[in-house]
Amino acid sequence: MSFDPIVTGRTSGGRLLFTTITALSLAIMYAPVLYLLLASLNPDAQLGLVPPSRYSLKWYFALLDDGRLAGALKESALVGLATAALATPIGLSAALAYRAMTRLRGVFLLVILSAMFVPGTIEGLGLSATLRVVGLAPSWVTIAIGHLLWTLPFAAVVSLIGLSAVRPSTIAAARDLGAGPIRAFVDITLPLMRTNLISSFVFAFLLSLNEQARAYYLAGRQNTLPLYMFGAMNSGASPTIYAFSGAIIVISVAVVALFFAGLVGQQSRR
Amino acid sequence: MVAEIEERVVPHEPGPDESVGARWRPAGFLLALPSLAVFVGVGFIPLALIAMWSFWSFDPDTYWIKPAWSFASYAALLENGRATVFLRTAGLAALTATASTLLAVPAAAVVGLLSGPRRAALLLALFTIPFFTSGLVRAFAWRLVLGRQGVINNALMSLGIVETPVEWLLFSDFAVLLGMVAAYLPFAIVPIVLAFARIEHSVIRASQDLGAGFWTVLATIVLPLVLPGIVAGFLFVFVVAVGTSMEIQLLGGAGASSISIMINDVLRVVNFPLAFAIATVVITLLTVLIIIANRALRLSRLFESLGI
Repeated sequence: MSFDPIVTGRTSGGRLLFTTITALSLAIMYAPVLYLLLASLNPDAQLGLVPPSRYSLKWYFALLDDGRLAGALKESALVGLATAALATPIGLSAALAYRAMTRLRGVFLLVILSAMFVPGTIEGLGLSATLRVVGLAPSWVTIAIGHLLWTLPFAAVVSLIGLSAVRPSTIAAARDLGAGPIRAFVDITLPLMRTNLISSFVFAFLLSLNEQARAYYLAGRQNTLPLYMFGAMNSGASPTIYAFSGAIIVISVAVVALFFAGLVGQQSRR
Repeated sequence: MVAEIEERVVPHEPGPDESVGARWRPAGFLLALPSLAVFVGVGFIPLALIAMWSFWSFDPDTYWIKPAWSFASYAALLENGRATVFLRTAGLAALTATASTLLAVPAAAVVGLLSGPRRAALLLALFTIPFFTSGLVRAFAWRLVLGRQGVINNALMSLGIVETPVEWLLFSDFAVLLGMVAAYLPFAIVPIVLAFARIEHSVIRASQDLGAGFWTVLATIVLPLVLPGIVAGFLFVFVVAVGTSMEIQLLGGAGASSISIMINDVLRVVNFPLAFAIATVVITLLTVLIIIANRALRLSRLFESLGI
């Protein structure tokens, strides 16, 4: 990808207008969540902002005493780890398949990506009905199965981007020096793709962690985090819900931001 | 040996990569098997099954379904205002997609035309990060902004613009639309940015050298070239917005519904065949939409600018 600035110089107000719209877009994406984060630091039971000198993690500590939350956290972690552990190698395999394919690669990519566009409610409904007939009782396993389909397109695309950075000439060199295809893959391709494989795992984990519609249908007795959260949000807002929302946003953003920082660093080294 | 050398001289990109499959063609298909198995087993078969079961009937003995074939569920689709819910969901999704596209085109232009590489990467990251955060939290956060004691009402009242809180800000179609646009904007921006990345810079330079101003370049050169990305972005937001329910559940007014909420409601009274029928209609329509768009726009080509 190359993003050299194409248009420079006078733009007859275009730059100003477009930059304003971009800022507005970022504002509606980020401002409410930032406000929620600041409001979660308010030690009073009343909603609103307080001066920074009064910021407190009181409600965050209160989360630690919530037993149901701990159960949901454990369940979500289990589902997320299982999903990511499966989606990463299967996504990598799909990416390798796409690169090796000569025909039908466009169709293959479309098939893999199509899972992104199946509404969560419908996938959850279909899968839970099917698993009911198969006789698999709802548990973290059934949620992970549903989340695998949901996260696989993202894992495959992240692997594909990583694979595109592996120069065919490097592989050819290894092959000329006598390495078999598997040896070349293990010694050359995999190390070069390390960052992407890690991000594939992390993204799959985060997508699973935050997914609600499928989990609603596939969960057993134990709720996942979003299911627990949804219940709490609809039963009257309490300060702990703000803290809880704040915690989950901070963790997600930190992880993704670290990934992008790593990616930019990687590119500038290249 | 000669054949091997000749094979290497063939230009590598953008054709298939020869690192894995050149000499061993079946490799591609073997490697595709795990992901295809997931697609078929977890995606396709369950959807095909519920399509079949939508023609079965409820079984009061087992609280499940029995193979008594009937079209009753499809007739019931038109009862109790269910057709209205379909139309309202599609309308709201179309409105969300329109608003998102109107914001996404200028934003993608800033990324693709007006920024240097560093700022473009930063903006792209900022537009992607929310996607990996909780949609539930992002929707919920709007309550704090739009509510009776939210940021906007507090500001309006302390400035003396209104005397009593503005009620229609929250638990309204307005709130739902705002929440959905904020949530699904990245789905519009990413394909448009990918389309911008495919533009030959020399084309734009040439038209500028010939005296075309910013708006002329935009209207006559850029927009026609990125049109497939714009349509793809609109479509992505539309499809995702059709399937969502949490923005409506958290921000919508009393009685606000959507297809997903309707499915949940129908299941609450264990009317499985009807839930399956609603799901089947939605999946059929979305599939047709994506196939038509792919035929017209070759959507998979958008990914070429990722270098894949």
